[in-house]
Amino acid sequence: MLNESLTGPEAGGTARRRRPKRTSRAVLIADRIADATITVGGLMVIFAVAGIMVFLVEVVVPLFTGGSVGTHTQYRLPPAEGAVLYTAVDEYNTVAVELGANGRLAAHHLRTGAMVANVDAGLGGADITAFAATLAGEEVMFGLADGSVRFGSVGIPIQVLAANGMPAGLRRLDERDATDGEAVYTPIAGGQVRKVALSFKSEEPQRVSDRPIRLLDYRLGGTVERPTRAFVTIDDAGAVRLSLAESRVNLLTRKASTRVSTSALPPLPDGLRPAFVLLTDKADQVYVAAEDGTILRYDTRDFDDPVLAERIDVLPGDLRLTAFRFLIGEQQIVVGASDGSADVYFRIQNHNAASTDGYSLVLAHPLERQPAPIVKVAPSKRSKMFATADADGNIWVRHATSEQTLLRLDAGEGAAGLVMSPRDNGLYAVDSRRQADFWSISVPHPETTLGTLFGKVWYEGYPAPSYTWQSSSGTDSFEEKFSLVPLIFGTIKATVYSLLFAVPIALLAAIYTSEFVQPRVRAVVKPMMEMMASLPSVVLGFIAALVLAPFVETWLAAVFAAFLTFPLSLLAAAYGWQFLPLTVAGRLSGVPKFLTMAAVVVLAGVLAVASAPWLEDLFFGGDVRAWANGDVGSGAPLVFFLAMPAAYILSALTYDRLAGRWLPALVPSGSGGAAKAKSLLRWLVVLGGAACASAALAAGMTWSGFEARGGMVDTYVQRNTLVVGFAMGFAVIPLIYTLAEDALNAVPEHLRAASLACGATPWQTAVRIILPAAVSGVFAAVMVGMGRAVGETMIVVMAAGNTPLMDWNVFNGLRALSANIAVELPEAVRDGTLYRVLFLAALTLFIMTFVINTAAEVVRQRFRKRAVQL
Amino acid sequence: MTVIEPKGPEVPAKRPRRAHAAELSAFGEPFLWAHGGALAIGIVLIIGFLVLVLWNGIATFWPRPVAVVTLEDGSLVAGEPSRTEPFRPGPELLSSLSETQRQTVAAADGWAERRLYRIGNYDLYNEDFRWIADYAVARVDYPPEMVFVERLEWGPFVGMVQALAVGGETRTAASLRPGELQSELAKAQDRWQRIRHIERSLIGAVNHEMERERLAVRRAILDHGAGSPAALAAQAAAERRMKPLEERYQALAAEARAIKDADAAVTITLADVGGRDKTMPLSQVVRIYAANDLSLIEKLGVYVSRWWEFLSEEPREANTEGGVFPAIFGTFAMTLLMVIVVAPFGVITALYLREYAKQGRLVSIVRISVNNLAGVPSIVYGVFGLGFFAYILGGSIDDLFYPERLPSPTFGTGGLLWASLTLALLTVPVVIVATEEALAAVPRSMREGSLACGASKWQTIRNIVLPRAMPGILTGLILAMARGAGEVAPLMLVGVVKLAPELPIDGYFPYVHLERSFMHLGFHIYDVGFQSRNSEAGKPMVFVTTLLLIGLVAAMNATAIVIRNRLKRKFAVGHF
Repeated sequence: MLNESLTGPEAGGTARRRRPKRTSRAVLIADRIADATITVGGLMVIFAVAGIMVFLVEVVVPLFTGGSVGTHTQYRLPPAEGAVLYTAVDEYNTVAVELGANGRLAAHHLRTGAMVANVDAGLGGADITAFAATLAGEEVMFGLADGSVRFGSVGIPIQVLAANGMPAGLRRLDERDATDGEAVYTPIAGGQVRKVALSFKSEEPQRVSDRPIRLLDYRLGGTVERPTRAFVTIDDAGAVRLSLAESRVNLLTRKASTRVSTSALPPLPDGLRPAFVLLTDKADQVYVAAEDGTILRYDTRDFDDPVLAERIDVLPGDLRLTAFRFLIGEQQIVVGASDGSADVYFRIQNHNAASTDGYSLVLAHPLERQPAPIVKVAPSKRSKMFATADADGNIWVRHATSEQTLLRLDAGEGAAGLVMSPRDNGLYAVDSRRQADFWSISVPHPETTLGTLFGKVWYEGYPAPSYTWQSSSGTDSFEEKFSLVPLIFGTIKATVYSLLFAVPIALLAAIYTSEFVQPRVRAVVKPMMEMMASLPSVVLGFIAALVLAPFVETWLAAVFAAFLTFPLSLLAAAYGWQFLPLTVAGRLSGVPKFLTMAAVVVLAGVLAVASAPWLEDLFFGGDVRAWANGDVGSGAPLVFFLAMPAAYILSALTYDRLAGRWLPALVPSGSGGAAKAKSLLRWLVVLGGAACASAALAAGMTWSGFEARGGMVDTYVQRNTLVVGFAMGFAVIPLIYTLAEDALNAVPEHLRAASLACGATPWQTAVRIILPAAVSGVFAAVMVGMGRAVGETMIVVMAAGNTPLMDWNVFNGLRALSANIAVELPEAVRDGTLYRVLFLAALTLFIMTFVINTAAEVVRQRFRKRAVQL
Repeated sequence: MTVIEPKGPEVPAKRPRRAHAAELSAFGEPFLWAHGGALAIGIVLIIGFLVLVLWNGIATFWPRPVAVVTLEDGSLVAGEPSRTEPFRPGPELLSSLSETQRQTVAAADGWAERRLYRIGNYDLYNEDFRWIADYAVARVDYPPEMVFVERLEWGPFVGMVQALAVGGETRTAASLRPGELQSELAKAQDRWQRIRHIERSLIGAVNHEMERERLAVRRAILDHGAGSPAALAAQAAAERRMKPLEERYQALAAEARAIKDADAAVTITLADVGGRDKTMPLSQVVRIYAANDLSLIEKLGVYVSRWWEFLSEEPREANTEGGVFPAIFGTFAMTLLMVIVVAPFGVITALYLREYAKQGRLVSIVRISVNNLAGVPSIVYGVFGLGFFAYILGGSIDDLFYPERLPSPTFGTGGLLWASLTLALLTVPVVIVATEEALAAVPRSMREGSLACGASKWQTIRNIVLPRAMPGILTGLILAMARGAGEVAPLMLVGVVKLAPELPIDGYFPYVHLERSFMHLGFHIYDVGFQSRNSEAGKPMVFVTTLLLIGLVAAMNATAIVIRNRLKRKFAVGHF
């Protein structure tokens, strides 16, 4: 390096005047500092930019990681006297509660197994033969041997107390919790104490049968003030009864009274031994399942006249049904069998079904099979997640909709009790030897897999698997649907329609600017188009949504007309221009010609608007929007419009072939007046032929019953793709135009000169010499424009209506990836599933544009190399 | 012109045919017109677009006459006439028309014209605009006594002045001296300003102090634990300082109340064209003018005062009226901050790539990546800004420095700083590319000359390369600013709000509040044009804002172009 050699002691030694031999220290230090700063700074920016992608990936990855186990504790519980009916865990994973068939309610500390409380539930020694609990909460019900039922509730109420509210003399359970033999006290943040206690209530028995109740299910509905409690019972004799209990509080005496009305379901088929019974929360469906896999579905919408809607057998051969439970929402049923399978069924609307109510129960989600027969199913209280335990002690945590197995745990032996924590953050199992296991688990995003994000998913209530995006959640049982496919589709749809509008205009304009326009005009026109590129897209979005959309709505027919008037007027003008004498045409070839073109364009616009009402009456039954909807008129005009360009080309080819082969006299040669007239005549004939051909095609298709509407043209909404296409085309045109023009301009001048010198006309030079040389550059320009259209946000947010649909209808809206992010991310909870899915959307967008831009860049590099070679 | 057969070489078998001129088809006239037409469409579109924005933007504030329309059924409607449009009355509407009206419509092939009137008086009518079909109009007058009143609430009032009550003395419109109304209005507005000053600035300052005391106590509790001596001392000190603040607050509130009482005594009674009265404090009136009785000078006065209000005031009525000063301020502050960040980093990176890094495969890959990043959608940067800057960086800052304010975030949410950083990231490729090009344009001979003279590398860069490249760098920076100023999508995620209560710069320590959310012209357009209750009422406002934003961006671009042209000239001379 030069400066290094200068720092040597002998540098410049021959000079007469003594110069300092050494570079001053300050300079060296400054050099070092600059060196370091620039290198570090430069690398930092480059890494920062790479970091964007890394960060996006890092946020997205947890979507696909399934679940993890935090801590696992294991202890042995004292033996239970009699069967355990019910196990529950509180919201904070403090205690586990067991209700025994002997009527005792025991709570023990979840993390140590120490007994906290053991009280008599006050059932008075009744002989409990059946039991049911609601999924969401604490409501339970007992079926008794005398044919009566009893409502009750087992609660784990939680209170937050001030620090001084903690009683004295507590027994320590572990380093955090303490108990007084009734409740557990836990110090929490802010100097407060959480008290977790037990509560039990039961009501007087209600007689529903004369025989012991064997199976029971119970749902709570209605309002808080006037709850309706529905339950279904199956007694010893196999009689199935649906009952409704209505409670009323007497305003005077404050005494609650309960009235039970019962309706008998159609008798079970002979020989069917019911093993499970389920009731939906609106009490409109009753499912009875037998051990051999037969499921009877009763339609009980009419309480007084329940009917057997459907009978299906879900298990082949001699497999036994071992588990049958609802997931949250009471639509999806987990069916566990002796072969270890645990599949999810739900009811869908199906008019061809053999059932009486137009629904049928279908296997929606076949899940991974466990090694041993399923013995217990524990659904989550807040999602479609559930745990299944098999006879070998394997406990798997799964998700119904995403069909994935999130966790595989080992409990030693078949579980007798299995419960998921209310917040889905713990799993508690007690096996037949009274060994208890508690796992604290973390399953942040059970509902997402690559399959659910990019594939079809069968959501409950949907007739078939579908791509659905529906992220707003109303209730707990509502399932958020995250399929990115409709959004990607929306992005592609907006891009395609805007490019359909933008690419022809931008490329033709670029060719014209580069090849046919005087430098003086070019110096005005090009910066003008470039100015257009710097318009903020929010402005375009606003104009599109509030000016263009209403305009298009009013003048829809004019938009159709414009597709005819613009090409026709320009061509007519061109043929007219040909009649100008060569000298005049030559003199006017610069600015005046271009101004004429502009005037023709304006005229074509006016013509389109003027002819709109006429066109609307003639073709579209008087109302284009009604026509698009399919209410009036026929699809023939659409076929006519779409077939026109192809028909024109076909007609022109046919004419030239016919005329060139067989009627040579008709082919004009030279450029004399006769040739001009003939060329005009040729155009008119070709046009007429094209019109006739496409009209014939349209008539033929309509006659054969083909309806062209319903695909690209359908119901009209105000914020639609047509408007988006225009506005986004407006944003993309200058970009494509500038880059394509640059590429055309970069073709070496000597090629142009050589071609013209050989006698080619400018048109021939442009099409045969310049365009082929610049085609890769032009392609790159289109790609860059596409990249911009894919990522454009504000225009789609404002003008596209934001409906996540998947159809190609120009008159309908769309929801693009970018718009979806802009609309939903501000409301997404940090690190929630929606948040991460939106990051995935951003990553998808990033990758899409990166691929498109890289392709453009590679093509452009090749173009540059080629341009240099030329 | 001797011309050859164009297909000559490919079809040698054909009999050569010579002509004096090329075949007509060789000129491709129809194709030329298709190409030229495309260019013309582009130009017409952009001119049309600019005319649309300019016309609507410039004309919005011009005071228009108020028409009183007498309908065929005898009822009266008063309002500013706005646009007209043709429409096609539906069958239900047609059947409700009179026979003559039906004939009018039938004569026009079932079409009719209608005109949109801005009737104002939202509090009386529950609508701001009304379409009136031409066939329903019996007569249109422009009576001189009609006034157009702009109000602080409920939008404009169109009607007549009925009476003015000043301290219990009521005077009817007829007995008002000329100019009296305006002078009373000026006084009322002064009172209103005074109230606002007390409530916002003075009481605001007291509140700010009190909040600071409260936070200091929380901080002490967090640092030393509740009940610790330090915390108790802080509590006692805060209470001591709170007392005078409390008193000052009471005094200010009393003063504001007194002025408000005085203000309530001055009321104006207006009547709409149907005779319905509306009485309100005069201070609620922003501007009042007799719409049909204005000279050109007076119209100009109204026009200028409306522009001034627009540029200097805060928005009212869900941003559809008033001004956009906070949005202008926010846009400028954010753009400025962005440039401060992006300039050094962009230039340093370009210097590294061009002057320091070894030119090879890696650098060319980096260069392609940087080029590509310029094409990554802005919303992706917004997502990154929210996730990384606001949540991760901001969250850490909050934990470290502002624990007493949690759980309400200080830096842990969108704000001016994060918005600027996000846009800096978004525009850094623009600056890098422009700077690199400028550096590449500095002739190698100059560098070598400098090094040969004994300058160090940094000296060469600082004294020779950078000055030559400066115009190019500036162009890049200005283009980056123009892009940043017009970008909205990422800002929606990282700190722009529809209505920011406070500016990011104010009189309270530390004076510059980078964590605050802010308003932005682009977002203002989105919000008013798209999200407001009444987009028709907000539309004129949006057009003006659009004009402002486009003007801003265009001015920046024009500056960049001018600098670029200068640069070219300079190099033409400076090259050796």
